[in-house]
Amino acid sequence: MSATKPPRLEVRGLGKRFGSFVALDDVSLDVAPGTVHALLGENGAGKSTLVKSIMGYHRADEGHVRLGEREIVPKSPREAQELGIGMVYQHFTLVPNMTVAENLVLSRPRLPFFLDWPKEHRDLAAFMSETPFQVDLASPVRSLAAGEKQKLEILKQLYLKSSIIILDEPTSVLTPAEADEVLGLLHEMAQRGQVSLIIITHKFREVTAFADEVTVLRRGRRVGGGTVKDLTPAAMAEMMMGAAAPQSVRPARSNAPARAEIRLETQKLSANDDFGLPALSEVSIGVRSGEIVGIAAVAGNGQEELVEVLAGQRQKASGRVVVRGIDYRATRKESRLHKVRCLPEDPLRNACVPPMSVAENMSFRKFDEPPFALASLAISPRAMARSAEKLIADYRVKTPSSLTPIASLSGGNVQRAVLARELDGDVQVLIAANPCMGLDFAAVAEIHDRIRKARDAGTAILLVSADLDEIFALADRVLVMSEGKVVHETTPAAADLRVIGQCMAGQAEHG
Amino acid sequence: MNRRAVRAIEKVAIPSGALALSLVIFGVFVALAGADPFEVYYEMFRGGFGTWFSFQNTLQRSAPLMLTALCAVIPAHLGLIVIGGEGALLLGGLAAVIAGRAMGDSSPMVASGAVVLAGALAGGGWIAFSGALRAFRGVNETISSLLLNYIAIALFNHWVEGALRDPTSLNKPSTRPIGDAAAIGNLPGMDVHWGLAFGLVACVLAYFLIMRSVHGFAARMIGGNARAAALSGIDVTRLTVALCFAAGAAAGIAGAIEVGAVHHTANATLIAGYGYTGVLVAFLARQHPLAVIPISLLLGGINASGGLLQRTFHLPDATVKVLQGILFIVILASETVYGRFDLRRPRKVASPVPAATDAEADHPVKGAA
Amino acid sequence: MDAASLGFWTVPLAMLGGALRVSPPFLFVSLGECITEKSGRVNLGLEGTLVMGAMAGFGAAHHSGSPWLGVLAAGTVGAVFGLVHAWLCSLRRVHDVAVGIALMVFGTGLAFFLGKPLIKPTAPQLPALDLGAWSDAPALRAALRINVLFLIGVALAFAIRETFRRTRIGLVLRTAGESADAARALGYDANRVRAVATIAGGFLAGVGGSFLSLYYPGSWNEGLSSGQGLMAVALVIFARWDPVRCLYASLLFGGAGALGPALQSLGITTGYYLFGAAPYVLTLAIMIATSSAERTLAGMPAELGAAR
Repeated sequence: MSATKPPRLEVRGLGKRFGSFVALDDVSLDVAPGTVHALLGENGAGKSTLVKSIMGYHRADEGHVRLGEREIVPKSPREAQELGIGMVYQHFTLVPNMTVAENLVLSRPRLPFFLDWPKEHRDLAAFMSETPFQVDLASPVRSLAAGEKQKLEILKQLYLKSSIIILDEPTSVLTPAEADEVLGLLHEMAQRGQVSLIIITHKFREVTAFADEVTVLRRGRRVGGGTVKDLTPAAMAEMMMGAAAPQSVRPARSNAPARAEIRLETQKLSANDDFGLPALSEVSIGVRSGEIVGIAAVAGNGQEELVEVLAGQRQKASGRVVVRGIDYRATRKESRLHKVRCLPEDPLRNACVPPMSVAENMSFRKFDEPPFALASLAISPRAMARSAEKLIADYRVKTPSSLTPIASLSGGNVQRAVLARELDGDVQVLIAANPCMGLDFAAVAEIHDRIRKARDAGTAILLVSADLDEIFALADRVLVMSEGKVVHETTPAAADLRVIGQCMAGQAEHG
Repeated sequence: MNRRAVRAIEKVAIPSGALALSLVIFGVFVALAGADPFEVYYEMFRGGFGTWFSFQNTLQRSAPLMLTALCAVIPAHLGLIVIGGEGALLLGGLAAVIAGRAMGDSSPMVASGAVVLAGALAGGGWIAFSGALRAFRGVNETISSLLLNYIAIALFNHWVEGALRDPTSLNKPSTRPIGDAAAIGNLPGMDVHWGLAFGLVACVLAYFLIMRSVHGFAARMIGGNARAAALSGIDVTRLTVALCFAAGAAAGIAGAIEVGAVHHTANATLIAGYGYTGVLVAFLARQHPLAVIPISLLLGGINASGGLLQRTFHLPDATVKVLQGILFIVILASETVYGRFDLRRPRKVASPVPAATDAEADHPVKGAA
Repeated sequence: MDAASLGFWTVPLAMLGGALRVSPPFLFVSLGECITEKSGRVNLGLEGTLVMGAMAGFGAAHHSGSPWLGVLAAGTVGAVFGLVHAWLCSLRRVHDVAVGIALMVFGTGLAFFLGKPLIKPTAPQLPALDLGAWSDAPALRAALRINVLFLIGVALAFAIRETFRRTRIGLVLRTAGESADAARALGYDANRVRAVATIAGGFLAGVGGSFLSLYYPGSWNEGLSSGQGLMAVALVIFARWDPVRCLYASLLFGGAGALGPALQSLGITTGYYLFGAAPYVLTLAIMIATSSAERTLAGMPAELGAAR
């Protein structure tokens, strides 16, 4: 580990435009040696653009970056890396079929022709013993838990002798306990003066617990910041949301669902993952008409498989799915009969056929019934286009025409198109998984509003989300899943965040 | 010029350009082999399309190509690359012989109908097996259908030289011939058998099946994104097996027609590579069922002229295969040209503000480090 | 004849000998395909490369008088085919499986076209070692006549495994097969890595072809290959992308291929064609047994999604 202190990083007046859109406008920040600097903001506030400009992905249009005494203009992340600035991405960049040692050695800028593995292992073990992070060198990365992968990503940066490390939402895939451990260790390293850190986040708790300084961005501008000690979460939230920050008061429930019929039910449902290993074990959940049941879980705890089974994208291993008292196998006939709809995450990958047109994609639920199909045999492109144009207008999908391939729409508009298709008509059961991931604030509000309206109209909704805020904003009941089981149940009103965190981490009172 | 016009021009101009380029490369080849390329072109045209007689020959040869091409075209819309047409054709031919002999004394209508039906069932079952392996076990259909070709050849030889062998066929082992009632005749007023009509009708039917029917729509959903199709409740397994059956049935009918209309018996001449040429036709037609018709005529003509090239220029009989290979490669390479005639940059859709914020939210470089 | 002296052992011995004699083309093509697939690309055209290699190797050996120059020529032609495959795949929107099929058609056609004058002549054959010289049993001696090229292939299988594990080239190649982005982050263009891997794979497939024309069966004709190039692709899946397991799988396939002739030597001729289909049926059965609609295959390079 380098004994020298990391240099000071100064960003002055950075600006960046994409076409007529101003992504970054006159943003400045300072990272003093050995400090943790939090970058706070909503999705789309410009956090990513800012760090990507520092890392050399983008070329800033205005302003400059100084490292220590000299101005730097890295043209690629590789050049930034050589200057000692490294980045840990939200998505893992590890190679799953290789071992931890291979992944670390691979990251080195210059590899020898022959690799002397015994010696490499000795060197790596020696290196690792000087860091607070420990991962088994011989394990293949695919067998690591999310927390260990994140540690390995950080180890990789330390191994490359990065003195300034940028972490992009480093805790989004971690349980609260894992997040505390990783951030705590990083914080200690910074305090010892070994590294400086920039952490992109939107979690106030992490800012107050682990950051020294904070910069708040909104719509591409710096709207506040300073020393964390001097700021309250409320003040930071106000900066983040602006004057028009929505009240955290939840709209009143229209009708109590306690006595309503159970529309969707799983009974001891089990399923396997892509590698044939058990992912979901004997999960029993019931969702009543007019109720949103939220499932909180860290990625990879069986909730993906649960959604896939309900959506008909995965075979169950055992157990039953029951809709309105009848066995449900997600066939077209059944989903039509019971009006079961689904909003999966990453809709372009899960719910769209990218080369087909917007109109065709919006007709998936009904192309084979009149008036879209003539005599249940021939499709009617004209009827599809007409119906799609109405939905496009209703849901404000921005597309050049209904005949455009859906793949050329922006992520938010793909999401709207799928939402329009799935919520069209009388929906009895809705399964939604991270329906707002990666969307900007306005789109999130609109989608939440539509989901609430559906609930108020009597739809039974199962909402799976990685975002606790979203669950608390929408759900009437909250279930926590860990390692393929439901481990905790509560209501937003009675919820204890600490207990939920422990349960998500798998340290639960079972039951 | 608007987009649609550009697209339409592309669809004609690019394949034509690729065809021209292939002929130039082929010309260099035959020149190196010592023949005058322009004379070769002329003879090929004459041998394939020059006279009514040669054109009828071409038509006759294009019929099985249309049917074997469909064996690749139909699964292609499910996202599957099936190259099992050769095996389906052989088993179709074998089944046709068995049916034809069994129907010895029936009326011609019934007997020849049974010949075609038997071919369709055998070929359909063969490719449906490949489709089922894909759907139920995730077995790569390209490799399985190829292996099935070799297995079909073994089965074919086993029966033709074994249980079904006509003891009087000495040099060239063949089955006993089918009866006259089961034979398939010529189209009225032409020297071309009914196979051509089957080929044309099959292409038109395949067009309606894939491009216009609800089943075709569902198939294209599967081909574009099987996860989205499953989400919409499409029975991926059933549709995959059913359309693979239809595909194999087309190739099986090709075999039945070769037996019923041309050879009246099954022997090694049936192993003529129609299945593989059909795959070529399918790719050249960019998997469009109607485009299969002209491309089959073109390749039927090229094949028909092969013998002429051998006799006139003393070129090896594989000359035609070289031209096919060149065509295949050039056409595939030409895929990359589509969309480049549009002088305007591809527009970023939707208003810039949400587009940019969405782009900001997900990483343009997923997993760089 | 000697069937009597060895009795029951005749068939297994003939299959062993057959396996050693028949497996080298499988071995070389599957090692080549293994390298290519490890880099994240599928080359289905190796059947065409194999036939081209057989023709070129035979031609070069015939004209030069040296079988080893023939092997070299076969490898070179194979590398050129690999280069063409790599170039076509680097074009936007061009699908590697389709390119493979096209090269299969082109390669076999071109080999028959250029190889027409080579059907009658003879060429010097590759040398073999008599490892069974100590034995009196002619069947055993025949079985243990091992070609030098086969031994080179065995050594290569182990060498390639170690290269994957212990060298920069191997690590970079595997990274390109796992994630093009990760390779880019290392400073390598995945496309270029795959091009090199495809060229190397083509070289080995070409060499495998030369074995057909220069040792067993040892002449050039149009029926020389019966899909070994294709089966080798399936064999790589069976071997879980491990070069040494490719060796074992090649021997198994070679043995299956030798079943028909071995039975024929005993006078069992019924079902000759069906026994001839044994390797194909075996390949298919293995693929059915090892694949799954639900699971991803263990060990499959992640960028190879389309190859399943």
